Amino acid sequence: IIDEGKLEGILSELEMILLESDVAFDVVDEITQKLKDSLVGRRKKIGQKLSDIVIDELKSILKDILDRNRFDFDEFVRNVDKPANILFVGVNGTGKTTTIAKIAKRLTSQGYSVVVAAGDTFRAGAIEQLEEHAKNLGVKIIKHKTGADPAAVIFDAIKHAEAKGIDIVLSDTAGRMHTKKNLIDQLGKIKRVTKPALTIFVDESLAGNDAIERARMFNDAVGIDGSILTKLDADPKGGTAISISYITGKPVLFVGTGQSYDDLEKFSSEWLIGRIFD
Amino acid sequence: MALEALKDVVRKIKSSSSIDKYLVEEIVRDIQRALLRADVNVRHVKQISDAIKKRALSEDVLPTFNVREHIIKIVYEELMRGIGEGLDIPLKKAKIMLVGLQGSGKTTTTAKMAKYFKDKGLKAGVITADTWRPAAYDQLKQLAEAYDIGFYGDKNEKDAVKIVRDGLEKMKDYDIIIIDTAGRHALEEGLINEMIEISRVANPDYKLLVLDAAIGQLASTQAKRFHDAIGIDGIVITKFDGTAKGGGALSAAREIGIPIAFLGTGEKVEDFEKFDPAGFVSRLLGM
Ligand SMILES: Nc1nc2c(ncn2[C@@H]2O[C@H](COP(=O)(O)OP(=O)(O)OP(=O)(O)O)[C@@H](O)[C@H]2O)c(=O)[nH]1
Ligand SMILES: Nc1nc2c(ncn2[C@@H]2O[C@H](COP(=O)(O)OP(=O)(O)OP(=O)(O)O)[C@@H](O)[C@H]2O)c(=O)[nH]1
Ligand SMILES: [K+]
Ligand SMILES: [Mg+2]
Ligand SMILES: [Mg+2]
Repeated sequence: IIDEGKLEGILSELEMILLESDVAFDVVDEITQKLKDSLVGRRKKIGQKLSDIVIDELKSILKDILDRNRFDFDEFVRNVDKPANILFVGVNGTGKTTTIAKIAKRLTSQGYSVVVAAGDTFRAGAIEQLEEHAKNLGVKIIKHKTGADPAAVIFDAIKHAEAKGIDIVLSDTAGRMHTKKNLIDQLGKIKRVTKPALTIFVDESLAGNDAIERARMFNDAVGIDGSILTKLDADPKGGTAISISYITGKPVLFVGTGQSYDDLEKFSSEWLIGRIFD
Repeated sequence: MALEALKDVVRKIKSSSSIDKYLVEEIVRDIQRALLRADVNVRHVKQISDAIKKRALSEDVLPTFNVREHIIKIVYEELMRGIGEGLDIPLKKAKIMLVGLQGSGKTTTTAKMAKYFKDKGLKAGVITADTWRPAAYDQLKQLAEAYDIGFYGDKNEKDAVKIVRDGLEKMKDYDIIIIDTAGRHALEEGLINEMIEISRVANPDYKLLVLDAAIGQLASTQAKRFHDAIGIDGIVITKFDGTAKGGGALSAAREIGIPIAFLGTGEKVEDFEKFDPAGFVSRLLGM
């Protein structure tokens, strides 16, 4: 029978692995508690190593966290009523605009037609940045001037898609801190006016504990359907995926693995867990 | 969350008049939790807490100090060990080069820093040497124009080194020149070599690493590799207006033994401050 005393050593080692992989401290705490709850009192089969049992259990807890509410993005796109608006949100500089370009490339190469909406009307150079991507990819961009109402820009892009029979609208928004109430409220308005079929939270895998603060606040205030985690090529272990999935209960759909349009990969929980433990 | 933890630490210290092993261990455990929540490198957390434990029990409480002050002093000193109290950039002619990971805030900080020195009476200009990110040129140009800051760039030139050479030539009469570079990480060998080459040609007086306040455990390894490549003189922490505590940036500074120079505290060009170690530590610990 497994008792708490025997578990302590293994658990604190696993805690270290998770912390070093950038799983947020509070999430590590709760995962450890879950592990204890499910293992203490359990009967160990003869010849089974305790550490193997604990690691297997941990992997299965992590898999549950990562795969909650999982859906297949390609299948979603195939079945969704067209035109469908996909809205990208997140804090400053995480990779929203670049990820939109990557998704546009992915969708057009699958045969869908795409328009991008320059919904970041705030940051210097934001419209020009998306414009350059659109030009490189040969997709249409709908833009207004700097300072314009982002909801109106996205609304126009949807109207354009309806008129031209375009399948997917990819809507960019300005990066914003989760703590800025007026800016978060603005996202709420954008959602009400433009009724996105999907709202995707973009964060970077480089982020540590703060990932849970922002994921929670974006999810609570705006509502998200899934996340995309960028910059995995910089070599973080990727524990941020666990933090964000744990807090939001929504799956990570893709990871960004570089600055080229093809550097976007479907997320797999097995792959991430392997990256952390192997 | 961290806030609650540290309030408890302070309460524990307040209510005791003498130091015993039990109290110190409890305090150190709480500090460890606060540091891990603030993204201080796991390895550094262990070094820091071991040092605090040892000193808190072995060093005499100064006569003018109470137990609380004694421990807070030790905690502060151990957190700042090896990184000094900040970086003073004197108000005279200087070239400053900003480098860092993708999206950390370099271009915004370039404009912020130029305005900071301009407001102190220096003639400040910026050079955009990011030939990779779409519209990096437009981004910095728009910021510079809005604040009446000197600007050099060449939209059609793909060679960042040439841009920097030409820009420095054109801006000879400027006091402060800030060079914005493309985002890169340590594993992108081509981009690291480009940075080395820019640094060699520009020969900057200050090479500053720009780090997002939210960066986690990767901060110290990345910083180490940037430092090995060009020699970093200081760190700028950006996005300090959110909820991130900046412990990753602290670990980066500690890893390479350099000071933190400035803080970015918002998206606006005005949102820029000199680093204040006491304020930083309080926030890091949640006090
Ligand atoms: N290495 C790497 N860089 C990336 C990745 N995704 C985005 N980037 C880079 O990160 C930087 C910021 O990307 P953006 O797409 O502008 O980020 P954003 O979230 O739109 O930024 P704001 O609109 O300013 O909030 C750019 O230099 C991108 O090239 C990735 O997966 N890997
Ligand atoms: N809230 C907040 N946002 C900031 C701060 N500094 C920069 N930003 C934002 O962070 C995002 C990225 O900033 P950039 O200056 O484009 O970053 P960069 O390092 O030049 O990016 P690359 O050139 O792509 O590597 C933008 O949305 C900025 O407005 C800050 O201190 N606070
Ligand atoms: K960032
Ligand atoms: Mg953007
Ligand atoms: Mg830049």
